[in-house]
Amino acid sequence: MGLWIQRLLSRALIPVSYFFAIVWMKFGRRYQIPALRDTRRRYRQLLREGTGPVVICGNHLTAIDSLLIMWALAPGWRASLKPSLMPWNLPDKQNFSGNIYIRFLCYVGRCLPVVRKGPRDEVRKVLDKVGLLLRSGDSILIFPEGGRSRLGRVDTENFSYGVGGIVQEVPGARVLCVYFRGREQKDFSTMPEKGDKFYIDMKMIKPASASPGLRGARDISGQIVHSLAEMEKGYYDVARQ
Amino acid sequence: MNQTEAFDKVIKVITPYTKNTAALASAKSDTRLLEDLGVNSARLVDIVLAFEDEFSIAIDDDSADKVLTVGNAVDLIVAKTTH
Repeated sequence: MGLWIQRLLSRALIPVSYFFAIVWMKFGRRYQIPALRDTRRRYRQLLREGTGPVVICGNHLTAIDSLLIMWALAPGWRASLKPSLMPWNLPDKQNFSGNIYIRFLCYVGRCLPVVRKGPRDEVRKVLDKVGLLLRSGDSILIFPEGGRSRLGRVDTENFSYGVGGIVQEVPGARVLCVYFRGREQKDFSTMPEKGDKFYIDMKMIKPASASPGLRGARDISGQIVHSLAEMEKGYYDVARQ
Repeated sequence: MNQTEAFDKVIKVITPYTKNTAALASAKSDTRLLEDLGVNSARLVDIVLAFEDEFSIAIDDDSADKVLTVGNAVDLIVAKTTH
């Protein structure tokens, strides 16, 4: 019940939450996404090319990656008309639990807080909600590395298997891998540098495993993370040029 | 398989995932994998899968969730290999 109230309220407030988030990023932080129009067109095209719930998996270097990716993928007016374009997020609860305003913003900004390394029952409840939302046609944005990469690169050794479990539990789920990085982003940080310009690449994959349970979750998560690592090579190829 | 055999094998399996090797050397049944041995929580899954491979058993998700200490792992393996 609580989830559906949050879903309804966040839908109603998409124009407001989008507006403030984008104004802050665009004018407050002076961020730029040079290929914004092409990126959004490509995103819509990828969604049209198949059916099934979409799990968006991004690389993770800053604390506002989810906001930036949301901005990159769809304009506010379009997300207002089609709320599934505004994905749900699973932020670490401790990042905002102390501030009531941030908690409210996260609530209307479609966040389902997770206690990292918390009680498994609690994590399980959140994952059940994620499954429900995906089956209802919403999308979700997850960072499969489980946290900001301390290497500054996609970490193909230490990643979480949670995303694999989610994909396993939702039949027909597609995974949109999104590689997103500021040109000035050398390492992980809280925020990208002011005025940074962002590179973005995306690829839709359908990861699968013949194994059930945890082994299958590990296989699927591995496929996603390796796909992101491949896309990162593309970023460095472009950067070298 | 008895408790002692299982304990030794469990220690062998979890060694590559352990950051606190000093704690591993003096590990007992109540030694906690995450807090005491410094195992990364994401690697708990790898440990459970390594148990499956090492002992040729299948561990369901609910049982895997209960493996929090060395003793939990030993009990689970003894139970699975004696049935």
